[in-house]
Amino acid sequence: MNIVLISKQFSDGEAISEYIKTIAEYLVDQGHEVCVVSFDDGSYYSIDDRVDVLRAPLDFDGDNLYNWSMMMNNELKEQVMQNIGEDVDLIHANDWTTVPGGVALSKKLERPLVLTFHSTENERGFEGEHAEIISELEWQGVYESDQILTTKEDTKNSVLFDLDAPDDKVDVVDPFSHGWPERVLNKYRELVKQEKKVET
Amino acid sequence: MRPLFITWEYPPYKAGGIAAHCEDLATTMASQGHEPVVITYGDERTSEVRDGVQIHRVPSTDSAANTISWAMHLGHEMEKKAIELHKQNNFDLVHAHDWMAVPGATGIKKTLDLPMVFTVHSTQKGRDGISSEYQKTIHDLEWYGTYEAEEVITVGREFSEEVKHTYEVPENKINYIPNGVDLERFDSHSQDLQRDQYALDWENIVLFVGRMYPQKGPGHLIEAMPHILDQHQEAKFVMCGSGATEHYKSIAKSQVGDKVHFPGYVSDNELMSLMKEATMTVAPSVYEPFGIVPLEAAASETMTVGSYTGGMKDTIVHEYTGLHTYPADSGSITDQVSRGLEDPGWADWMGDNARDRVEDNFRWEQISAWTTGIYSQALE
Repeated sequence: MNIVLISKQFSDGEAISEYIKTIAEYLVDQGHEVCVVSFDDGSYYSIDDRVDVLRAPLDFDGDNLYNWSMMMNNELKEQVMQNIGEDVDLIHANDWTTVPGGVALSKKLERPLVLTFHSTENERGFEGEHAEIISELEWQGVYESDQILTTKEDTKNSVLFDLDAPDDKVDVVDPFSHGWPERVLNKYRELVKQEKKVET
Repeated sequence: MRPLFITWEYPPYKAGGIAAHCEDLATTMASQGHEPVVITYGDERTSEVRDGVQIHRVPSTDSAANTISWAMHLGHEMEKKAIELHKQNNFDLVHAHDWMAVPGATGIKKTLDLPMVFTVHSTQKGRDGISSEYQKTIHDLEWYGTYEAEEVITVGREFSEEVKHTYEVPENKINYIPNGVDLERFDSHSQDLQRDQYALDWENIVLFVGRMYPQKGPGHLIEAMPHILDQHQEAKFVMCGSGATEHYKSIAKSQVGDKVHFPGYVSDNELMSLMKEATMTVAPSVYEPFGIVPLEAAASETMTVGSYTGGMKDTIVHEYTGLHTYPADSGSITDQVSRGLEDPGWADWMGDNARDRVEDNFRWEQISAWTTGIYSQALE
């Protein structure tokens, strides 16, 4: 399979980056093709050579994280379309900051979208003037994706109750549990297999 | 060609001039055999074909804390629609209008790998400055649009220099195409003005049309009113437009009482009738990238007294199609309006010349052809 993992950030030591890194390295060990696409904040990262990494700069500072993220997603999409194009089997986005890019790519390429919530806006306290629009974007991510993963039970509950996700779309995959990347891969397999079934 | 227009406003939704510009341009392109498609804002999702133009509306959000975030969300919705439509029939390019279209249009450009054309109708710096972080972010989005676009179109000759310097746009991708005026619309409207609602029989209407904000300079005209009336009792000022109407109305009323009239909302038809009936229009803008009023007045065979700034340097020829004033100078407005009122024959002659000039230079057919020429450059 060809998997694209997208993230706002990719740097050593950062929680979401480490999550992505573990999945990516497991996948290449299993013989899959993996590309990590993120914003380029200039920070250091290290990863297995077999994983492709695309990092895009953004010449727009924005007045807040929401507006910045919306423009940053345009760069992520460009990286995928210019460097990978149609050779993608599945897109895996992480948190609301990559929802617009994940959704657009999934629609353009007609490939399944997996979205991991590492936390939700409700869990983070729903504070600040952009909380509502961020939560709305999370809701859209739930609506548009084929599979939701959360890293803990509390986040799953928030996705179910605050973001109205259907129960059968959400699974907890705890990145501290044994053999968790395999469970992620199995989710990918189910989704990609479903796609193929539809085609035949 | 099959261009995709991205604009936040398209008639009947309109706040500024972008809606009318997009409609006139798209409709003319369609009549010339192109297939323009418009994606714009709407309360709900709708699709229609009007005058040969496919118009698709998508909603935005009620949760946005400010207009920038609203535009960002709208952009994402527009992009999803564009992806869907592109699958049915490929677009050749995406054409964005002003900063609110930049997030959506750049997303579409990057996801669908299309060339982008960006029309700058005005700049944040010119509108009300870039001192706050919010204003600076809009400015940055305007820059981003010019950076991402293959070709940039500006609506004024002098304005294209402003855009070039403000955003450091390379000379070879900046283009000047003026706005146009739909002469047919002005010729075919029904003249049913109840003149007595605006002025007495012996009075001459001096008309202001525009949003009531400092940029459009209504205050300078109001300041000139008593001085004009000293010389010309027959002048009657009619002030049409939305904005801070009450603010300007109270100032004007305290200055000249019944000699000024603020009619409030005026229908398009009524406005065209007023333009035709007026002795002159006054466009006292302090900042005006293009300024459609002199052209609309010209279509109505009415002269314009307008500030010597931005687009009006080109759209008014002094002492031939109208009169120039110094910008933000009520003394100069007094002098020039008085000159026009002094000699009605001369004012009529200038109105006729203005009409001839728009027929020769500012027709949408021509502007549409120039624009598709720019599209061809963007596709190269």
